[in-house]
Amino acid sequence: MKLKINALIAIMLLFAAALQAGNNPRFEFTEFTLENGLHVILNEDNTTPNIVVNIMYHVGAKNETPDRTGFAHFFEHLMFEGSKHIGRGEFSEIVEMAGGSLNAYTSFDVTNYFVLLPSNQLELGLWLESERLLHPVIDSIGIATQKSVVTEEMKQSRDNRPYGRLLTETIKRAFKEHPYRSDVLGKDEHIRNATEEDIKAFHDMFYVPNNAVLVITGDIDIDQTKLLVEKYFGDIPSGRLEPRRPTVIEPPLPHEIRDTVFDNIQLPAVIQAYRIPASGTDDYYAVEMLGSLLSSGQSSRLHRRLVNQERKAMQISAIPLGLEDPGISLIFALPNMGIDPNDMEKLIDEELERVRTGLISEDELQKLKNQYESRFVNGNTTIARRAMNLANFYTYHKDPDLINTQLEKYHAVTREDIRAAAKNYFNEDNRVVLYYMPQPTN
Amino acid sequence: MKKIVISVFTLLMLAFGVSAQIDRSVRPEPGPAPVIQLGDFDTFTMDNGMKVIVVENRQVPVLSFQLTLDVDPVLEGEAKGFVDLGGALLRDGTTNRSKEEIDETIDFIGASLNTFSSGMFASSLTRHKETLLELMSDILLNPSFPESELERSLNQNISGLSTVKTDANAMVRNVRTAMLYPNHPYGEVTTEESLNNVNVDLIKEYYQTFFKPNVAYMVIVGDIDVDEAKALMEKYFAQWEPAEVPNYEYDTPTAPEGIRVAFAERMGAVQSVVSIAYPLYLTPGHEDAIKVSVMNSILGGGVFSGRLMQNLREDKGYTYGARSNISTDRLIGSFTAGAEVRNSVTDSTVVEIFHEMDRMRNEQVDEESLQLVKNYLTGSFARSLESPRTMARFALNIERYGLPEDYYATYLEKLNAVTADDVMDMARKYLKPENAYIIVAGNKEEVPQNLTRFAVSGEVEFYDAFGRPLIEAELVEVGDDMNIDTVLENYFNAIGGRDKMEQVNDMVLTMRAQMMGQEVSMKTYRKSPDLYLMETSMGGMVVSKQLFDGEKAIVVSPMGKQEFAEGVEYEMMRSQSIMNAELHYKEHGIQKTLAGIETVQGKPCYKVEVVANGIKSFDYYDVGTSLKIQTDSQQGSIIFDEYREFEGLLFPTHLKQQMGPQMIDVIIEGIEINTGIEPDVFQVD
Repeated sequence: MKLKINALIAIMLLFAAALQAGNNPRFEFTEFTLENGLHVILNEDNTTPNIVVNIMYHVGAKNETPDRTGFAHFFEHLMFEGSKHIGRGEFSEIVEMAGGSLNAYTSFDVTNYFVLLPSNQLELGLWLESERLLHPVIDSIGIATQKSVVTEEMKQSRDNRPYGRLLTETIKRAFKEHPYRSDVLGKDEHIRNATEEDIKAFHDMFYVPNNAVLVITGDIDIDQTKLLVEKYFGDIPSGRLEPRRPTVIEPPLPHEIRDTVFDNIQLPAVIQAYRIPASGTDDYYAVEMLGSLLSSGQSSRLHRRLVNQERKAMQISAIPLGLEDPGISLIFALPNMGIDPNDMEKLIDEELERVRTGLISEDELQKLKNQYESRFVNGNTTIARRAMNLANFYTYHKDPDLINTQLEKYHAVTREDIRAAAKNYFNEDNRVVLYYMPQPTN
Repeated sequence: MKKIVISVFTLLMLAFGVSAQIDRSVRPEPGPAPVIQLGDFDTFTMDNGMKVIVVENRQVPVLSFQLTLDVDPVLEGEAKGFVDLGGALLRDGTTNRSKEEIDETIDFIGASLNTFSSGMFASSLTRHKETLLELMSDILLNPSFPESELERSLNQNISGLSTVKTDANAMVRNVRTAMLYPNHPYGEVTTEESLNNVNVDLIKEYYQTFFKPNVAYMVIVGDIDVDEAKALMEKYFAQWEPAEVPNYEYDTPTAPEGIRVAFAERMGAVQSVVSIAYPLYLTPGHEDAIKVSVMNSILGGGVFSGRLMQNLREDKGYTYGARSNISTDRLIGSFTAGAEVRNSVTDSTVVEIFHEMDRMRNEQVDEESLQLVKNYLTGSFARSLESPRTMARFALNIERYGLPEDYYATYLEKLNAVTADDVMDMARKYLKPENAYIIVAGNKEEVPQNLTRFAVSGEVEFYDAFGRPLIEAELVEVGDDMNIDTVLENYFNAIGGRDKMEQVNDMVLTMRAQMMGQEVSMKTYRKSPDLYLMETSMGGMVVSKQLFDGEKAIVVSPMGKQEFAEGVEYEMMRSQSIMNAELHYKEHGIQKTLAGIETVQGKPCYKVEVVANGIKSFDYYDVGTSLKIQTDSQQGSIIFDEYREFEGLLFPTHLKQQMGPQMIDVIIEGIEINTGIEPDVFQVD
């Protein structure tokens, strides 16, 4: 059994080697769409007797109305409450009784649910997900309880945590029109005010087969799985409402926005947020590699200069938020104790000026390519990661084959592209700068 | 057998077509349980004593090398932190390479390499393995521990430690560490003071004593076979010289007699971090270990269906999550259970956790809950095998802890043999709600008074953010001759007397300070009874004005102009605008009480509690001079220093204000009294 799999993988690797320059793995998958619009992606991998049933709904914080921020995330909690045939609290019990594990998350753009199960429980996984898609049942006790739970989650992960409100404070200045201006957890009172009608309306608009992608990876038989998917999802009606999606185009920042926020912290933080293009665009790939040039690894430009050489910073990172609509890239830096945050920021600006005006070396480009290759090879080794990646690639780009081809996108980025990305996006007029400072006395 | 029949039936149904209406009320039955197979591994020992474990896995062209030293922990004492710092410093220079060269080599091949006090971990694509191993070997065998890199690392670590003071989770971890394992290496907490005692000599000595191949395991996982592994290990690590490594023994920490309650303050907290904990002796692979893991899962481990999660989150809505954990360890492990909950339910949370611990001991678990946990643990075990590192970890544990060869091969069998009686036995043996520490970090104003009832001593013990007991500042009882009125009256007399104070009709104060690298100057104008203006300037330009014109508060800043005729901003501005409010505090709704005598800045002081607009603060009046020398509020402290005379009245001319890690010095340059300020100064357009 074990031998057979290894032989199969060896053949697959050979096949992949013929197709690609490197000997990186290639993932075969099957894709189809049910009549009701549910998109399905199946990836068979018999290495271990486990499966993942992952369903991603194309709804996140950006689909909320301004008076119901945090609703997508709140709704995610409610989806664990039960359904017509699953009593309150039973959902997780059924999964765990079957030897499985489950969770979900909500982002600005999507809500993703995943159930990990032994491979003999595939049908159960499909039944569970079809139940809560078709007819979730959310009673008043469940709503009240989850309102409390979400309120505590807000405190635990945002309001009562050092630097917990950092992203919240940044995005509300970086966006004025686009719903990205409000964070995923949203406002406490919006959740408190949510009614049963709100919840039903949200389900009817977004929790419909034509607004979701179902990905199953692991120890499955493709033909049998197709039949089972049809069995449990085929007769679920399509949505009748057009899902609400933001159409507003955020205007460019008029000029640099610079502000100070005081919080219950000890060490100041400096955040620069640059407005960048949407995930998946050619420019985005260049921006992402620019982020790595700046802060990936201890030899990266910002780390070497600010942490190693001049020792102004305790920690620094450049993180592009890969969002479906044009978004932001963050540079986040904590100064060492006693260091003036201004002095630290000056060095960041100097390094940005260097990438705007000069080409990076061939060696640096090669280093970036090597880093992305390593990330690519290591990024799909579990069936759970693969399911999530396939769902993301489909939802954001309608191209799940990016799981095999995305590395080429990075390899296509040139030194000139990186300089252009720095020039076009990492400039003063295109940024919000926040000084996150310890609360002064009085 | 029944299960197989059903799944065959299902298949038949599918074969006949799926258009038939399905009965969704029927929960699908599982197919036959799949076989869970453990992978293989190889081991060999090198001539220098290093044991090597190889797990071959060709799925991806990646290799990893993990070096683990199996040595006893040491007491670090005054220099706590040097062992961990030294471990991290290992990669920061060799006799052949600078840190920059090492960084560049790792990053160029897209590899990762980290060093620790207990070894190192490195991973890369297969084709870079020689580069990686050459570097690893150089780091392991020829470290130079550069002074200058240690200095950088210390500075970073000290900066990092400052964040602990606002991080309730970190506080609880520190207090727990200190309380559970006194006089034991596990109980030492790193502080700024201890880091200041770290030096390169300590680090080098540790390295020279403990980094020896005869106490080392090398675990190799990935795209490699055992023959190649042997050749590579020979090439890069054969020259590593063995030597005798010392052993240490420590007294085993024990659980407390009765319940002790420990509290660490996190200013302004809206949630409490609650942890119930005690040391627990359970070694890896002990015959109870699997039964205990089942028992703990039912209580609050792993599964969402755990009783703590169900009770505290799904039933009560107190928290986002509640869990328990039992850790095994060769020397001493622990039990912990906890949650982050809103302030008002902190004590109820403790009650509920104890209640669930008691239930585990007194009621037999129902078969369904037991089966759920067994199934879940079986599934987790199967899922963990997806990573080849799991097999490597099993192999290492078998070697390190002397487990039977088939310990993991028979794990599922042992797991499934656990009975409800076993669970209750384990609960009675290992759950000790009556011998536990209740450790809470949170809001000191609202929470600790509700926790005293749990403490066997009847008292809550207070700790700082690093787990050091707070010696309650000696609060001396005040003699009968002193009360709040005499303390304040003495203060008024010391600065010039009531009469002189009452004669002040207007006042202009000029000050300067350094803020965020900029010189800031401020000028305040006051006029009786309650007119107030503060202008803040930077580089000679007025950047903001705060004003109270007797009726409303106005703030003018680059962001625009804001007016407040009510609300918090209004109240705060109004109360600070009143001339000589101190003299008539009662009329302005401020409460002051004399709390006692406490030593502040090395001087005995009268401590006066002040409550204004519902906010509490403390003023300290020097017993010797009667002057006010400090105010403590929720945001921190202000020190009043260098009193000087202006028009017969004493004013502090140097204010030191704590702002995070920085001390802001405000220097008062001049005070002019009764110059006859025109009322129209207190107006803006």
